[in-house]
Amino acid sequence: MPALLIVATVFDAGLARSSLELVGAARPIAAGLRLDLTAVVLGPGPGLAEAAEVLHRHGVGKIWRAAHSLLTSGQTDALLPVVEQAARTAAPQVVMVSADTVGRELAPRLAYRLGASLISEAVEVGTDGHAVVAKRQVYGGRAVAEEAAASWPVVVSVKPRTTDVPEPWPVAGSVEDLVVSLDEASLATRVREVRREQADVGLEDAQVVVGGGRGLGGADGFKTIGELAAALGGAVGASRPPADSGWVPINWQIGQTGKTIRPALYIAVGISGATQHVAGVTGSRTIVAINRDPEAPIFSLAHFGLVGDYREIVPLLTAKVRELKGA
Amino acid sequence: MDVVVCIKQVVDPELPVRDFAIDPSTRRQVREGRPLVISTYDEHALEVGLQLKDRHGGTVKALTIGPRAAVGDAVRLALAMGADEAVVVDDPRGPDLPGVEKAAVLAAAVRKLGRADLVLTGCESADWVERVVPPLVAEALGASCVTFVSTAEFSGNGLVVRRLADDGFHVVDVRLPAVLSIASDDANRPRLPKVKDIVAAKRKPVHVWAMADVPVTSGDRRVRAPEVQGVTIPERTAKCELLSGDPAEQVATLVQRLRALKLL
Amino acid sequence: MEATWLRGAAVLLLLALAGWVAGRRLVLVYRLIRLGDGRVPLVPVDARLRELIVQVIAHRRVLRRPFAGVLHLFIFYGFLVLLSTIVQAFGEAFVPGWTLPLVGAAPWVALTQDIFVVLVLAGVGMALWLRFVVRPKRLEAQDRFGALLILVLITGIMLSLLLSRAAFIRLHAPAWAQGALVSRVVAAWWFGSMPDWFARVAYEVGWWTHLGLILYFMTWIPEGKHLHLVTLVPNVVLAKARPRGALASIDVETAERLGASRVEHFTWKDNLDAFACMECGRCVEVCPANSTGKTLDPRRLHTDLRKQLTLVGPAVLAGQEPASRPALVGQVFSEEFLWQCLTCGACVEECPATNDHIDKIVEMRRHLVMEEARMPATMEDALRSLEARGHPFRGAGLARTAWTAGVYVPRLADGARPEWLLWAGCAAAMNERNHASLRALVRLLRQAGVAVGILGDEETCTGDPARRMGNEYLFQTFARQNIETLNRYGVEKIVTTCPHCYNTLKHEYPPFGGRYEVWHHTQLLARLVDEGRLRPKDPVAGRLTFHDPCYLGRHNGEYEAPRRVLTAIPGGAPVEMAQSRDRSFCCGAGGGLYWMEDRVGERVSHARTRQAAATGAGTVAVACPFCMLMLQDGATATESAIRPMDVAELLDRSLREERRP
Repeated sequence: MPALLIVATVFDAGLARSSLELVGAARPIAAGLRLDLTAVVLGPGPGLAEAAEVLHRHGVGKIWRAAHSLLTSGQTDALLPVVEQAARTAAPQVVMVSADTVGRELAPRLAYRLGASLISEAVEVGTDGHAVVAKRQVYGGRAVAEEAAASWPVVVSVKPRTTDVPEPWPVAGSVEDLVVSLDEASLATRVREVRREQADVGLEDAQVVVGGGRGLGGADGFKTIGELAAALGGAVGASRPPADSGWVPINWQIGQTGKTIRPALYIAVGISGATQHVAGVTGSRTIVAINRDPEAPIFSLAHFGLVGDYREIVPLLTAKVRELKGA
Repeated sequence: MDVVVCIKQVVDPELPVRDFAIDPSTRRQVREGRPLVISTYDEHALEVGLQLKDRHGGTVKALTIGPRAAVGDAVRLALAMGADEAVVVDDPRGPDLPGVEKAAVLAAAVRKLGRADLVLTGCESADWVERVVPPLVAEALGASCVTFVSTAEFSGNGLVVRRLADDGFHVVDVRLPAVLSIASDDANRPRLPKVKDIVAAKRKPVHVWAMADVPVTSGDRRVRAPEVQGVTIPERTAKCELLSGDPAEQVATLVQRLRALKLL
Repeated sequence: MEATWLRGAAVLLLLALAGWVAGRRLVLVYRLIRLGDGRVPLVPVDARLRELIVQVIAHRRVLRRPFAGVLHLFIFYGFLVLLSTIVQAFGEAFVPGWTLPLVGAAPWVALTQDIFVVLVLAGVGMALWLRFVVRPKRLEAQDRFGALLILVLITGIMLSLLLSRAAFIRLHAPAWAQGALVSRVVAAWWFGSMPDWFARVAYEVGWWTHLGLILYFMTWIPEGKHLHLVTLVPNVVLAKARPRGALASIDVETAERLGASRVEHFTWKDNLDAFACMECGRCVEVCPANSTGKTLDPRRLHTDLRKQLTLVGPAVLAGQEPASRPALVGQVFSEEFLWQCLTCGACVEECPATNDHIDKIVEMRRHLVMEEARMPATMEDALRSLEARGHPFRGAGLARTAWTAGVYVPRLADGARPEWLLWAGCAAAMNERNHASLRALVRLLRQAGVAVGILGDEETCTGDPARRMGNEYLFQTFARQNIETLNRYGVEKIVTTCPHCYNTLKHEYPPFGGRYEVWHHTQLLARLVDEGRLRPKDPVAGRLTFHDPCYLGRHNGEYEAPRRVLTAIPGGAPVEMAQSRDRSFCCGAGGGLYWMEDRVGERVSHARTRQAAATGAGTVAVACPFCMLMLQDGATATESAIRPMDVAELLDRSLREERRP
């Protein structure tokens, strides 16, 4: 039976969550197009075996395992030939890649090498029974495009955090090791250093996110909402204007051009609600908007709205939260 | 060091929602009568190219695909910012070509331009947001590729760049020739052209190439673009509860609601 | 006889010496002034003479500060009158007891002279009291030694005059002594019982001291603020031929340099301004930026320009590069300083020397923006938005015609050719709060039967913010484009709610071929109310005050129209703020500063909101979409209950009942 190949990675803390999300997105497609659900799992070595177990538990049968010290976070030029090798071996009809830092580079290049069809940045992916179809946000989140792959094979990149991690669905599977030959000297790009930005940790995984917008008026405003986020045990994010103005690091940005978040609680402070930002937060379960302008579009998205000056409201809320947590 | 910066003219992404419409026949945004601007990140790409030129010399060429009549402003801005010359590949569908096809034309145009050590693009276009052009151009040209780059500097025979990543940023050594897609950063905030440069830009050369004059090879066209089946504007339903009272009352109500939802 | 000859020779020698010292310096000042650019169109002669009478003879500006004004009036006229005594004193050097021909010996002349001696002394007393007891902030930065020296000199000149006059009366009892009431009293008091020789000595001492002090005074005139004695009259007479609100154009394509980055880049008139400044500090006192704690000090525009001219001018005149030259933009005037000016014109309105501060600020901004492309980031955003979108409100997310929802206004593009074009302006069209004012205006005009249309999407920014931020190139691009549009539709009459658009359309478009009859909406509404075509009925709720927009008031002299409209509304007569009419305090948005974060000191908009709230009014009537936004923001931020409402909105409310069918 022809295959659907998932590109899964294990760089540090086990199987990447986005890889598991891919499995969730791939299962209905594999079922609809009658494809074997397979995966290539790559990484420097540790955790690969456990990752294969996890994949089996979630419905992935055949797994190609590739271990090499160069298969690390961000090292596209090492990962690409190995994924290509797996794809040539598995000859899949569909390859699914997470549209993360590496995936954004890897998916188009893999499609080129395979002479494939290419769908990128899907937020929803499925099948109409004949072809792979996907939805993408376009025009700054103002519209959604529906695209269908026009030929086989198809490479699809899926935006992280647009689907939930799937329920387990254990299947019997097998693991086959790929013989990886990589020569460091031949890599056209080489990651010299990975710097993690502290403030950024967990924005995408946080259960509570407090986002700030143009309405905060400057970098100082982010201190105010930072205190609220700290009290709530959450992370701080931003819409595009603060990131563009340099008030916050660019990777705090949430929205179409930034991160997609799906927290249990999202508190939008001084954010007008431009579609560009909204595109990244619609998956949040509960949205609270604090804005001075009662006409701001964010209120049409929020579940609860507070109209007023954030400089008054946020400290009150922070105090109240601390009081509750302290009690 | 010769740099080619690919720029694209898009309908102003800040266009009022009311003026945003999809043309059902083309399945793309209606452009007519809408203000056009350079796609946001393309200006940052220009800035990175110009900074490299300022520091190390060489040339910067701006390359765009679009209806020649309409791209004037974008090209003039690029020239005023400091690009040495500009090439317009004249194609009425230009801005709405799928990324896959656009990448093929850009790769062929870069080849036709002759020497290019570095091709820069924005990290995504403000309209179609596929993010596929830079890696595809790199493949077609056999160049290295890094996307979402915030800064780039020469180091030895290559470049060292900073790539924005999900978990922070990566410092990456890059071999030349290379294709980089550029994300916004404080360090590459696009320069505002000086007025004398705006005036001088009027005398800089703008080459217009017909699509037929750009030798796109079958190698450039290895990837198939998806078929766009529809573009819809999602509807949103208002369901917001506006909390009443002074700030303290609003906060009290909010805390009550959030506790009821077990969020606190 | 011989003694007289000697005395005459000595006086001539001293006179020549003082004349040489003063003259040499005056010639240098003249050459420094002429270092400036020569092209300055001047107003017609009759207007100049009118200004001379109003400002010099009648002291109009000076008297805006009554205490300082009156003391200056005493000293000024005292010196004019006492010129006669000075001439007589010199005459006496050659002919003992010489008086002015014809009138010199008349008792009434002596009386006048005596009265003015007293007035001058009173003026000096007032000045000392002001300077050393009242000590207003505006005088703090002054050269205190120089100021005190002059006051001491004047006192000395007066007292020595009295001394010599009294002694002369005691010795010779001349006929004019009849009138010299004061001198006679002094003569009786000091010399009544003194021997003749004592009076003779006193006379000599008085006479020599008087002459000596006058000559010494003469050498001081060309220094610092005292130079205004010489430069003020030419400065008033040589006024620039430009409407108050308009800035000078430059040919951007051919200009050698854009704006001013060196002292010699200003015009000769700017330099003359610098030498005419008497450092009174009134500009500082009324400056909304300075009084809210910012760096901007409008007086320094003239005093520092003068200092720099004196420092580097001589070398430049000699064709050499000065040994040291602080950067005009960045060092002498910091960028922060230059970006704090609201171009509100309060300083210009107040300046007794009729100096123009705004011109200099804008010239230096032109250099920064056009030559260096350096400006605050938020302004850069506004300029980029202007270039890309034709309006400076980045992220506004509104269509230019969004405000027309609910009212009918035909568009010229659809073939409509109404009598009036309503120029909506970006500040009104792109900010929802101002939509109500535009709609109110349209309803009012419709009710009064005034036909009005709009350009809709064809309208762009007039270019005012670009011009005031220093981007003359962008301004001219907009001006040409708008004039092309307006002329294509044959537009003749324009009404607008925005005083900035009003000022630019009215005064800054004619040099580019755009000549229209431009009205501010309050002017048109006032006319309609006057003619009885609009009869407001319903009273306004609560007290209201009125905030004069700088570009309607000071820059265009329209204070009455909005007040006429408000007063026509029952209960609408405004309670005036202390700072109203030509003393109005800017809302904080002028000069392109709407697009700058006001972070230093108190926000100008907050200060103005407090002033408005201090009247006890619940509503502050505004006549400008920028003022609306600033005061709205100010009210929220200062937690004031006062709310801004446009004059048109208030009038519209008052007529709402009547319109109901």
